[in-house]
Amino acid sequence: MSRLNIVVILMVAVLLGTLLSVFTTNTESVVFARAFAEPGIEFKVSGTLDANYPVLYDPLQDVAETRFHMKDKDGKVQEVLLRKSKPTGLEQSESIDLYGKVIDGEFIATDMLMKCPSKYNEESHSLAEAVPEAG
Amino acid sequence: MDIAYTGEWTWAASLGRLLIALAFASGLAATIGYTRAVKSRDDQWMRMGQWGFRIQAAALFSAMGLFYLLIFSHRYEFQYIWKHLNDTMSPGLVLASFWGGQEGGFLMWMFWILVLAIVFLKRNPGKLEAPVMAIHGGILTGLTSMLLGLWFGDFQLGLDPFLLLREAPQNAGLPWTLNPDYLALIPEFADGQGLNPLLQNYWMVIHPPTLFLGFASTLMPFALALAGLWTEDHRTWMRRAVSWAFFGVAILGAGILMGGAWAYEALSFGGFWAWDPVENSSLVPWLALVAGAHLLLINQAKPGTAVTATYLMIGLGFLLVVYSTFLTKSGILGDTSVHSFVDSGILPQLLAFLLSCCALFALLVLPPGRDRVTFGGIMAALGVGIVALNPALCILGLLMTMGIAILRGHLKHLPRTREESPLWTREFWMFVGGMLMFASAVHITFQTSLPVINHFLEPFSGWFERLHQSTGSALARKLATHDLAPGTDFDATYHAIQVPLAFLFVTITAFTQFLKYGRNPGKPIFMSLLRSLLAALVLTGMVLLSYGFETWEAPRVALLLACLWSASSNADYIVQFLKGRWDHAGASIAHIGFALVIFGAVLSNAKKEIISQNRFGDLAMLNESLSNKEDLLLLEGDTIAMGPYYVRYRERRQQGIHAKFAVDYFQTSPAEYKTGQVVANEGFLFQAHADHTAAPAFTSDLESGHWTFIPIANERQRNEARPWSAGKPGPFAFTLEPRIQLNEQMGNAPEPDTKRFWNRDLYTHIKWGRVSDPEADEDGWMDGRKHDLMRRDSLVIGRSILALDSISAVTMEEKPSYGLLDKDLAVAAHFRLTGNGPDTNFVALYIVRDSLLIPDMVTLEDRGVKVRIDGFRPGEATFETVIWENLSIRRDFIVMQAVVFPQINLLWLGCLIMTGGALMSVRQRRKRLLKRPAAPTP
Repeated sequence: MSRLNIVVILMVAVLLGTLLSVFTTNTESVVFARAFAEPGIEFKVSGTLDANYPVLYDPLQDVAETRFHMKDKDGKVQEVLLRKSKPTGLEQSESIDLYGKVIDGEFIATDMLMKCPSKYNEESHSLAEAVPEAG
Repeated sequence: MDIAYTGEWTWAASLGRLLIALAFASGLAATIGYTRAVKSRDDQWMRMGQWGFRIQAAALFSAMGLFYLLIFSHRYEFQYIWKHLNDTMSPGLVLASFWGGQEGGFLMWMFWILVLAIVFLKRNPGKLEAPVMAIHGGILTGLTSMLLGLWFGDFQLGLDPFLLLREAPQNAGLPWTLNPDYLALIPEFADGQGLNPLLQNYWMVIHPPTLFLGFASTLMPFALALAGLWTEDHRTWMRRAVSWAFFGVAILGAGILMGGAWAYEALSFGGFWAWDPVENSSLVPWLALVAGAHLLLINQAKPGTAVTATYLMIGLGFLLVVYSTFLTKSGILGDTSVHSFVDSGILPQLLAFLLSCCALFALLVLPPGRDRVTFGGIMAALGVGIVALNPALCILGLLMTMGIAILRGHLKHLPRTREESPLWTREFWMFVGGMLMFASAVHITFQTSLPVINHFLEPFSGWFERLHQSTGSALARKLATHDLAPGTDFDATYHAIQVPLAFLFVTITAFTQFLKYGRNPGKPIFMSLLRSLLAALVLTGMVLLSYGFETWEAPRVALLLACLWSASSNADYIVQFLKGRWDHAGASIAHIGFALVIFGAVLSNAKKEIISQNRFGDLAMLNESLSNKEDLLLLEGDTIAMGPYYVRYRERRQQGIHAKFAVDYFQTSPAEYKTGQVVANEGFLFQAHADHTAAPAFTSDLESGHWTFIPIANERQRNEARPWSAGKPGPFAFTLEPRIQLNEQMGNAPEPDTKRFWNRDLYTHIKWGRVSDPEADEDGWMDGRKHDLMRRDSLVIGRSILALDSISAVTMEEKPSYGLLDKDLAVAAHFRLTGNGPDTNFVALYIVRDSLLIPDMVTLEDRGVKVRIDGFRPGEATFETVIWENLSIRRDFIVMQAVVFPQINLLWLGCLIMTGGALMSVRQRRKRLLKRPAAPTP
């Protein structure tokens, strides 16, 4: 068997495997409306934390139960339950990806990813409020 | 504009910019000069190139020197320095503030490129000098353009490292920027913001320079390869490139793993590798470079083998570094990645640089003459299309054109051998191994690049949508939303592909050194491999016994076996064939290191054990939900079983910028039970009828006849019952202090604390904890908390438990004793407070008088509890209560996670061995090159 064939076969196999794994393992990205329309199926819902509502986390009651409101891409605000301890920096997050499903009319997330102002991000340093000291 | 600012080093800003501009201009001159010198016999072009390079290098070194001068002088009027430095940083971190941001990163990268280029020039480059240095000139000029800081309307060309804060766009036009005395007047300029505290770590001093040296070291093989294509001498460059390529393998590999060590040690990722885009995009060039370096080795022994693949791998080593810079610095990952990346405003420039580098490579692969002109024309047209028409479609077109160009170059230009190597030769298996590593790189790149691929899918969105509607294909719908992102399950996303690939290429490293170049081995090599294979099988058996594996983990176990075989066979090779000639053992040593790295990574990750589970609480915890599998709630002073230990949260204290949580660990001793003691096990109660030491499991403890089942427990027994446990806290073992960094800039961040053992690490970090006492009024009462309570509900308050024992309507006879009027309606809640003092019973009333609620506050001052009933829902027999707790009785608590990583030290050990081995073989290659001088210059 010629080398070239081996390479081509390998690459094609890996590419196919990759595509397959990406498309099968990826949870579909939807908005709340769709997740509620198809309860029991795992989806990814992206959105932002709605700061008008408090983040409820009481470790004395349950270490792995965090409740908060998230606004999805359609602008719908929905209370969600995250079955994890409150992630560090939730309040500072810029956007949230929730992985979970609707059970009994409630969106229950088992996993969550946050986009946070991280070490790679430098906020703009405006000195707009800088005022020369008197005297 | 001509304001003379007092105390500002305006001259330094001007000088710095002048130096960058000079470097840019002389870089252009160097590129032109060296380029012409490749084909011209006229010495003048060569001299122009050389002088251009000298001036460029001098200007860049001076700019860096000036930059350090500004840093050491703490010149906070400069934006970069104000952002990344402050007066409290230690000398090491002052040094590191140089590469705290992108501008400094580019400078650092260029610094190493220059150093390596100078080393190259010192080593008698011969006729490779002109083409290699022309490429260097071009790349360095491109990188310098990232620092120009010029604005054309809204278009920004480069980020100016010497930008003064008053000139920064966000401050433009503010009144203070016109004040000549602003430095003295505005207090913000007295000190800088400082490096983000998350980065204030000694790894920040050594990791970025190492990684940048690794990045820089991929350029030399790339430039040599382009020189080979350019001069159509496909052999000379390869001989020179071997040691450069392996140098890159050593340094880049070490740099990547240092990043892992940093993440493991200081950041609470929960491990050393998170398949994060930043990590991935530095790993991928390394994989390509390793493949390329091995293909170069093949070409040493059998010139002319797999020439296209060699060019491709070496080319990709550098191009993927540029791509990684593009991914992490352009902000393109920002849309879908969970990490934030800076959109520094130079995306178009980074993209142009990346595409130019790729196009240059593709064009040089083509045969010289008409092909290069034609393809160059198409690419230029598509380049214009990116700006003028649809960027995504044109970039896609450009990439396809490059693919076709490389294919055409392979068929029409590059030499190919007809001679097929026999199966059992070293070069064949090295080639296969290299290609497998490349396949692994393709897969990781694909996953990391999904945000980029989404951009390419976008133009076809409508088409996929129609396809979905006509066929109902779910796949088409996914593609139509163009919102692909790598999954969160690493096993499915990465390991499912990477583990089998790694199994194959690690296995290849186990036996390939035993083969010979060019011909089948005279005698079967099986015999010389037998003993190492047996050793590996025995070791794998031990691993299987120590750490339980399940059937679905078979690929993983196979990979562990391959790693152990590779480590032992390479060690055996040094004994059998090299007979301990260490100077030739570089490759074997590097392979041993590589196998150990993979072994440590796979085992520690696959068999990591989260031991922080709420399993047995003490009495206070009995009512709590035990659903949690990962996090442990620890109340101050409680001692709780956790894995093989008992842990106690002792105290919180603040030290510098850290809140430290001291957690004591105790060994577990067998529990002892006394006659009459009552325990609960799985809901049943038992009473001990003899003093005894507990057996490891309850069933055996029960069988040995120490316990009597209590069919109907009385009140006292129910209250006394504790969960049965085989252990009790034994002697003190050690203390760990996971921290929360108080970071005003980025928000508080947890930092782990790890106990290291030779064969495992115990890694702990805080998931939730208070960094200061909660707010309370002057009498120490904290904000009240609302609770809905039914009969038999109970709450933990400090060290006590508040239970609602019963509910009763207040009868007419009782009313006077409560001071109620006859017309009042009242319901009484009978509470009992137990623990931390005598049992106290008290009553709180829900009173309605003339349909108004009369608040009834019950205060137990000495117990630190206040209760008020705000409502009563008769249907559910539920009180709506507010309960206040006094700081004096409050117990602090934390939610902690503890993970055991087995054999993770092999990973770090392997990294050292691999780097050492690779550097040894660089030295060896270099010696060999000197012994056999380069082909005579015509």
